[in-house]
Parts: sequence; structure tokens; C-alpha cells
Amino acid sequence: MRPFAYARPKNVRDATDIVTPMGVAGQGGAWLAGGTTLIDLMKLDVLRPEQLTDIQALGMDEIETDGETVRLGARVTMAQAAEHPAFKEGAPVLSQALWKAASPQLRNVATLGGNLLQRTRCPYFRDVSKACNKREPGSGCDAVGGYNRLLAVLGTSENCIANYPGDWANAAILFDAVVETRRGRRGRAIELGKLHRLPGDAPARETVLEDDELITAIELTVPSWARRSYYLKVRDRESYAFANTGAAVALDMDGDSVREARIGLSGVATTPWRAREAEAFLRGKALSEETAMQAGAIAFEGARGWGHNDFKIPLGQRTVARALLETARLS
Amino acid sequence: MSDDEPTGISRRGFLQTGALGGGAALVGSQAKAQEAEAGTRVPVTLNVNGKPYEMMLDPRVTLLDALRERLDLTGTKVGCNHGQCGACTVMIDGTRVNSCLTLAVAASGREVTTIEGLASPNGDLHPMQAAFIEHDAFQCGYCTPGQIVSAVACVKEGHASDEAEIREYMSGNICRCAAYKGIVAAVQEARDKIDGEA
Amino acid sequence: MPYTVQENRGQTDRIGKPHDRIDGRLKVTGDARYSLDFALPNALHSELVLATIGRGRVTGFDLAEAEAVPGVRRIYTHENAPQRQSPRFFGAGGTGARSWLPLQDDRVYYHGEIVALVVADTLVAAREAAAKVKVSYAAEAPAATLDAEGAEVEDPEGMTAIATGDAQAAMSRAATTHEAEYTTPAQHHNAMELYGAAAQWNGENLTVWTPSQFVYGFQKGLSHELGIERSRIRVISPFVGGAFGGKGMLMNFVSLVAGASRELGRPVQLMCSREACYTVGSFRAETAHAVRMGADEQGHLGPYEHTGRELTSRPDTYLVRGTENTVRMYDFSDYGSNVLAVHADRQTPGFMRAPPEVPYFFALESAIDELARKTGTDPVQFRVQNDTQKDPVTGTPFTSRSLVECYEAAGERFGWDRYSPEVGSMTDGDELIGWGVATATYPTQMSPATARVTLSGDGRARVMTAAHDVGTGVYTIFAQSVADKLGVPVSAVTVELGDTELPPGPISGGSITTASSISCIEQACDRIAERLAAETSEGSTPAERMKASGRPFIEEYAEWTPLQTGAEALRAHYDGDVRIVGGAQKDFCAFAFGAEFCEVRINKYTREIRVPRLIGAFAAGRIMNEKTARSQLLGGMIWGIGSALHEETELDPRYGAYMNDNLAEYLVPVNADVQELEAIIVPEVDKQVNPAGVKGIGELGCVGTSAAIANAVYHATGVRVRDLPIRMEKLLPA
Repeated sequence: MRPFAYARPKNVRDATDIVTPMGVAGQGGAWLAGGTTLIDLMKLDVLRPEQLTDIQALGMDEIETDGETVRLGARVTMAQAAEHPAFKEGAPVLSQALWKAASPQLRNVATLGGNLLQRTRCPYFRDVSKACNKREPGSGCDAVGGYNRLLAVLGTSENCIANYPGDWANAAILFDAVVETRRGRRGRAIELGKLHRLPGDAPARETVLEDDELITAIELTVPSWARRSYYLKVRDRESYAFANTGAAVALDMDGDSVREARIGLSGVATTPWRAREAEAFLRGKALSEETAMQAGAIAFEGARGWGHNDFKIPLGQRTVARALLETARLS
Repeated sequence: MSDDEPTGISRRGFLQTGALGGGAALVGSQAKAQEAEAGTRVPVTLNVNGKPYEMMLDPRVTLLDALRERLDLTGTKVGCNHGQCGACTVMIDGTRVNSCLTLAVAASGREVTTIEGLASPNGDLHPMQAAFIEHDAFQCGYCTPGQIVSAVACVKEGHASDEAEIREYMSGNICRCAAYKGIVAAVQEARDKIDGEA
Repeated sequence: MPYTVQENRGQTDRIGKPHDRIDGRLKVTGDARYSLDFALPNALHSELVLATIGRGRVTGFDLAEAEAVPGVRRIYTHENAPQRQSPRFFGAGGTGARSWLPLQDDRVYYHGEIVALVVADTLVAAREAAAKVKVSYAAEAPAATLDAEGAEVEDPEGMTAIATGDAQAAMSRAATTHEAEYTTPAQHHNAMELYGAAAQWNGENLTVWTPSQFVYGFQKGLSHELGIERSRIRVISPFVGGAFGGKGMLMNFVSLVAGASRELGRPVQLMCSREACYTVGSFRAETAHAVRMGADEQGHLGPYEHTGRELTSRPDTYLVRGTENTVRMYDFSDYGSNVLAVHADRQTPGFMRAPPEVPYFFALESAIDELARKTGTDPVQFRVQNDTQKDPVTGTPFTSRSLVECYEAAGERFGWDRYSPEVGSMTDGDELIGWGVATATYPTQMSPATARVTLSGDGRARVMTAAHDVGTGVYTIFAQSVADKLGVPVSAVTVELGDTELPPGPISGGSITTASSISCIEQACDRIAERLAAETSEGSTPAERMKASGRPFIEEYAEWTPLQTGAEALRAHYDGDVRIVGGAQKDFCAFAFGAEFCEVRINKYTREIRVPRLIGAFAAGRIMNEKTARSQLLGGMIWGIGSALHEETELDPRYGAYMNDNLAEYLVPVNADVQELEAIIVPEVDKQVNPAGVKGIGELGCVGTSAAIANAVYHATGVRVRDLPIRMEKLLPA
């Protein structure tokens, strides 16, 4: 780990004043929240911040509900949010996508703000001796043609096939999530669906955030019908593993027919992913194994496999179908 | 959010001195000359098992390494150093965490409980420790301190209601000897004892 | 100061009974110090720098940035490394994990090989500097897999070939035949405790703390590598945080750490990172198996041919040679087998829990299942009707063989009578259910052992031997054994292990410790009993006679060698060499057996494979402690789940690099993967196998599981997976 200076400011204004931006080379300043991604990657020498600004004294750790609106401070931990009745009862998919992620120890410190920005597990990103355009722009992508079983099939480019490894963003994205940020004196609100960038030809720049911009809160609109929602995480072992594929599903049903379906995909895409075409296809249709499989197929139109991860396309389709069918069975 | 909360300090600089628990000294980015040099040691107060320890540490030192190397509390084990195994589990303010991913400086001023802090001062084992022996919930014993601390927290969180929940909420602690069956039995037994005392 | 272990609870159970571990309190309080937990005054810390090419040479170092890190004391490369001699490779009779040392020359044999060691005042400085060491290479394309172009095949004939009759001719006559290829992947031990070493010199005397399954062997290896007398080296490993075979050979960085410590005049500690453990330690190599077998109309096995290919490093030939055991499992008429070594650009593999049995029995027990199906025979019945009570190779009877009893016990508990053989015939909602079985076995092996046992007038006993408790319960069963023989409570027995200051004990490998050391310890105890009986007739136990005699202290030192060996083996044992005998010998055939039954459930859409039920029955002679024995068997069975479904070290052949060298992507079972799990211990008395009547159980539990799961997966889905691990993508409909 490279040396850095550490600060623990006591309010947001100070915090946003002092931070020095961390650029795409992984240097400069960084926000320290739970640290479960940051410290991990610093130990691997992937990130080399010169300053850490610890935001633990900045509050931003409350969950407020007002009708359909759920507002979460960016420092709310994954464990806290998973237990909140607004999720547990009001939208199980939002709770399940949290408790099915990582381990209790990690969820106790990992924050929602940090979780949205979780970095890929691509082994070539994590190994500084290998080529990675995300870590070192222009160095190439060793994952293409390499070991890529766990990597993305949607939203990829020849420059980068690293997947977004998180779960919760793919559920939050179903509920018109808006991310509030602060940069210096200025704040702004960004739709979660527009927070991340596709890798294209610049995979190092993963989000639209400025280097010194701080996520302060996340706001969701959770309709009452979101009680019928479910997060299916398909993985090699039963717990404490990343998703091979996953589907976050919420269904508004009218008898057997779908009034509205919302579908997010995990483990398969380079960014948090919402399958809007599949949602549109289901609108007004009766949900059956056949329509569910069709929706799955639509969700993966345009997907591209890279060898080891080819299976994620058929598996992803089946994951969507199964998640739809299981969600429909919920009362 | 505490935007307008007075800092009570001189907004001068990145941390180099002063007790962290009381608030960091700050400097705006416009005052770079006064920022601490990267790599400068900083004062850290670790409250471990009820005792305060003051020390100067490189901010890179993890809580895990501080416990082991500085305080000789080697019950907390290194298994992966990346939050993937749970061998380093401790509680901070009563919550279980991976000490390998926690900077010691970030834990400054907070209450840390390690495996060495569970038994009574008179030597009586914590019910969870006793249950682990009773149910042979370990073999090599290397992951055991982390398992036990995690299990104590698991019960406290209310995530030990039945076998399935225990299995899920104890899955952050890998046991390569695979004493999982004994671990689940031990957590159930200790849960009942702890609940009985409560 | 020797690390002594003694329980402080008032339990009175003795031999055979379930007994809590006497080291339990130390382990649950965090007071048990493992090799890298000892605080050495004024110690330096170190960190490894590993090769980032798969084959080639180091052409230079740029150390400027690394040396500029405050606190760096020295950076060792092949240009300035301490002088050491090449190890004697354990596969060639030595104790080293491989035949060469790091930093001896500029050669890179494999990706992840050690190319530099940074020594610094602090951990953070050592790690920062290690990241800043710049190495330039002349890289060559590695051939890193079994089938890579450029990998060299060696046929070490004679060593591995076992053949009787004419298997080829018998195959052409067989009514039903089966022929297939099976493969098993590279796997890593991933003991929770990392590899590492700490070295401290006191003048010319060296003390080394390192996780070890064989302290005497490590002492001998270090003596050779460092060129100093064995008597000047002490190796200490009181507790081992999981070993599974990975800590039985001296790793080649230990003498480097010791040499650095000597040069720098301060203790040096090295704790390898988890990533580094994948390449500086050992591993279970990939294997491939061509299997052919046949049966007659009545479903009796006829011919069996099995050719194994095993990956090894370029310089060393390491083979597990599992056909030596597979040919003995059933009543085959004719058989032929051979094992080939494939030399590739990888580190030398080593033993990992049931080294031959895990890969070879996956192939055998899958093939048996396939053949049983072809003959239309129930898979349990097929195995039972082909059981044999004598070694088909030598004609020698097994000392005991309770395989059929194991099938009966586990089958009844599992409810096998409800088995519906048709593929896909058992479902539950969206879940496909499959049932499968397989045989487990492990040879009973032994080695010479020595031990010192003392009994004092106050009724306290002590046993001292440099054996090892790697989680197996050795501390506890030694105490039980002494307590039982001398008539003292277990809590009055102190046990000392894992230190070359103690009499030499056996390597903790091959599941030999209990059979060997208990035979030895009981001999020492018997002699104490005889001496006391000669002195007084008062009292009925040695402890009571001790009291009656008024003696303050009595001590016996025992040497034990297995019947089949002699003075040479004992001498070699003292000398730090391994002398293991057992399994199939000329006039002696000793194996433990087991039967595993499992249920798999597979979602019909997404094909995740889970094992909600796994039940095994095992017969392994006398059981010293039912509690710790059962834990070992259960742990082994869970290892089998991992081996079947999760574990594969993934390689990027372009670099010869492991790409999942961490515990987030190299998956081992977690608590949630284990549901109903049971180990039934089938009583078995075997007075012939060794004086203690003991067969090893440390490895037995993990042998049959992979095949049992593969067979169950076939039953559920109709997909026969012959390449481990069995993952969901292999089960997706095309």
C-alpha cells in the first residue's frame, strides 16, 4: 500500500473543501466510507490515493420514509438498509439484494453510497501486472481472450468486459433511484440509471461523477405493489459469492396479467442494468413460463459472450424467467 | 447531514496531530502547505476490550495489524487480508467487522472487542466459547476466534433464530476444516443460554 | 520454552469415548499461538516479490524506488541472496517441496515464483517497497497445462505400471463395457493459516517458527540448505492452522528468511499473502484419466484399465499414482494401469488431502456407476456384489474390510430403498433431485515413532513427541491414551508436540499419526506399568502403584516401528526422513473403507447444484475419540462437496497465471452450503493392522464425495459430468 494522508472532517462542507480529486490513474484523493472496496484495492496496489478523507463523522446515516419515498443517507450501511421495514416488507427485492451480498461483516461497514460505486472483480483489473484499460488506460484488455467466466456479456466493448459486481444497484434502479451528490458548495441529483457509464473506449471512467464529488443520499420511489418483488441471485455456492447471474424483479399484477414489470440484471453487465425492453414486452401479457422465457430472451438481446462466460447468456435468460415466475407466485 | 455543524477546530489541515476521537484538524485544499505528509505517523487511540491504548501509527496500518503487531493480541487471525474469510473478525462498537479492511486510524476512539475480550476476567468462558468446545465446532482452531466473535454478534443481531438463518449469517467466516455442523449447533446452544440470561 | 497443552476441565472420559479437545480452551480464547503469532523482539518484516511471467529469465531489477521507502533494510534478489544449497526434493527422498530454491539464479520456472524478498522495519514498509520493485524479464511462452504444446510427457515405467492378466483381451470378451475420460482440476489447500516463517538466530543457533506437519523433516532440510548442523536448528510449530498436506514439505522460502535473518542480525518474519500462497506453496495438480472396464452378464466386474496423466513442474516428477489403490477396490479379473507425468511450466505439486484417492476415485467411482447403469444393476448392489476380501493384485487378504457393512449402514440411514433409478424421476417442484453413492477408501499407513512418557508421584503425566496437531485432535487422543493406560484423569496429562526439542514423531501426512504414535505411546505406558508392577502389587492402576511405591517420578522412552520395517527405518526416522509403510504390501493389505450417499437438488431453470443431504458410513478400526474422529470425517465430506462443485484454480494459459488466487473467487464451501450431514462410524476390530488397532481417518472422508455427487447429478439431470468441478454451465440444456 502506498502512503497517504488521512483526515476525518466533521462536516460535509469541510470535507468537500479539502478533498483532492482522485483521477482515473487511481491517484489523488479518495473518500473513505466503509473501505471494503477501497482498502482492498489499495492493498493490491490497484488504487494509490495520496489522501483519504474519512467521512465517518459526517452523519448521512439515516433512513427516512415519506409515503412512497424512501430517502437513504449515503452512509447507511448495507446491513441497516437490509433490515429496514420499508424494504423488508415494502420491497423485499431491495432487502434481499443487500443481505444476499457479501458477508455480514462486510455489510456492517459497506455503505450504500460506496456500494453503488463498487469496483469490478475482473481478475485482470485486480492484478497490476496484467493489461487493463480500466486500471491503466491504453494498456489493453487481458480479459478478452483470458479467464473471463465471471465477466460481463452486456454493455461490453472490445476495450473492457469487466462486470459491475454489485447487487443492490440492480434493484434500486427499478425504483426511480436518484443519487444526490455534493461537490464543494454545489449539490446535484443524478438518476441512478445515468450514474454509470458504459466502458466504450474509456473504461477507466466508470461514472459521471467528478473526481471529488461525494454521494450524500439516495432517494427511491417505492410503490405499494413493490411488495411483490424478489431478488434471485444465482451463484456457485449458497452464500458469500458474487452473482453469476441475478435478476431483481418487481411485478404489478392484474390477476394473471402483468400491469407493470420491472427487471434489473446482476452479474452480467458492465454497469447496473435494467431490462426495459423485456419489461415493455411483458406489459399487459399473462405471465407464463413461455412469456417469462421470452422476456428473458429479450433481456439478453445483443448480449455477447467472451468464451468462458458464454453460459451467462442462456443462464441469464433463465434467471429472468425463473425470477419472474417466482415473483408472480408471491402474494 | 451536518453541513452547518461547527467544527470546533481551526479547519487547518489534514490530520497530523490531535486526538482523533475529538475531531480531526482540517485544512482546506487551498492550504496544501500545511497538510500532513503522506506516510506521517498519526496518533491513534484504540479502546480494546475496555482498555485504551495510545500509539502513533502509520495511517496504513490496519486494525488487524495494530492488534497483532502493536498490542500482541494475536487471537485475531490473518486469513486473507481482503475481507474474504472472516478470520480477522472483531466487533467495533458491538458490530462485527473485518479488521483487515479497517484502518486502525479509522477505528480510533471506538470500542473494539476481540476474542481476548470475551471471557470473564475470572477466566469463565463466554457461553459461545464454551459451546464451541462442547460441540467440537473447530479443528485446527485458526478461524475459531473470528467464528466466535462473529457468532456472538450474530446472536446479538437477532440472526440466529434457526439453523438456516445461522448458516446464512455465519457464512462470512470460512472454516477450511469445515466444522460447520458443530458451529451451527454451538451457536444455537449459546443463543439459548445468552437469551436465558438476558 | 515448550508449548504445553493440558486441559483444565474435569472431564473423566478416556479412550474411545467422545472427549472435548484438551486444547479447546486455548483455541476458543485466542491464546493458542500459531507459528506466526509469536512476537519476536526487534523483528524485521518481509514481503515477497513474485514473477509476473510464466517462463523465462530475470534480466534486471530497478530497485531505486523500493530502496527509497523509509525503513527498508535490504532487498534480496538472485544477485545478492544468502548462500544456500538446493533442497533435496521430497519426491526423491528428501523433505523439500521442490528441488530448487528461489533467488538462486535468474531462471523463472513458473508464474508467481519468488524473484525478490524485501526486508524492512515494518509491515507497511515491506509491502510498499515490494510493490515498487521493478523487475525486467526475458519472457518465453509458457506451456502450463496438461495438453499444452511444449509440455513434456514422461513415462516413468516400472514405478507406476501395475498389470495382471490380459485386460485388452478381457475387454473384447466382456458382455458390457464402458470407456470414458475423466479429468480433475488444479486445487489449492487454502488452509486458513497462511504460509510463512519467522527466524531468529542466537549466535550460531537458529530457531524457526513455521507452520509444519513435519518439524524434524524441516530441521533436516534447513540443515542441508543452510549448511549448518541439525543440532543447531530448532523448528517450532505447536499449532497448525490447517494443513491438508500443504505444510508437510519444507517450502523453499524458509531458508531464505533464515539466511536474511543471519545476514541482517535480527529476527525476520514473513507472512505470505493469500495470493502468494497459491504459488509459493504446493497444490493438487490437474489429472486426466482414460478408463475402460467391463462386466459379464451377471454384472460381475471383469477387466479394468486406467491410465492417469498428472501435471508436474519442469524440474520435478511428482505423481500421486492413484491406480495403486483403485485396482484393489473390486474383484476385477484383469487389469492394466499406468501413470504418466506431464512436465509443464508450473510449480511442483504436492500432497493435498487424499492425494491419489481424490482424483483417481472420482474417475473409478464415476466409471463404476456408469457401468452399473449399463448393466441395469442398482449402484449399491453393483458395488456389493463386486466386493472382495482379498487384494486382487497380490491375493493377500485385507486385514479387515467392512465396505459392505458401510453401504448397509449408510444406505439404511439415507433411505436408499426409496431410490428410483430412472433419470429425472425424482423431482420436487422446480427442483430436480438426484441420488448417488460412491465408495471411499484410504490405505492404513504407519511410520516409526518415538515418544517420552512420564508419570510423577502427584499423579500427573506428560507425553512428549514431535508429532503435530493440525486440527486432527492429536493433543487430545494422546492425553486420552496416556490417561487410559496409566489410570490418571485426562486433565492430569500434559501433551507437548510440534518442536524438534522433543523426540521425533511422524510426519502429519498419510493419516498415520494416530496409528503410529498411539502404538508408540502405549508401549511406553505399558513399560511404566510393568516397572511399577514389579515394584509393588498394591493398587490396580499404574497411578495407584506409583502412589504406593512412593516414587517421585518415572519415565519411559519408547521407539516403535511398524512390523514391516526395521532398524533402517528407525534410523531414518531419527534422521528426519519419511518412512511410511502400509496400504497394499506384499503380505499385508490394510485399508479403511467407507460409503457415501448424497442427494443433490438442482433448479430446473438455473441449475445451481446444492447438496442438502450427505451421509457417510466409515469403518476404520479402533476409534480413539468419537468426537474428534467424527469432526474429521464430516470435514472431509465437506471437502468433497467443495472438490465436486466449487474448487478449481483457474489458469490463464497465456501467462501460466492463476486468476482466482483469492478466497472470493476460489470458492470453498461456506456454512450455508452444508445442511444435513452425517458420519456413521461402523464398528470394526482389527488386531492385525497395528498394535493400536487404528486406521487413519483424516483423509478418508473426502474420497468418495466427488463421485457420489457426480453420480447424483447424472441421476437428476441425465448429464454425466466427467470433468470436475460440476458447475451450472455444464448442466444447462444446449
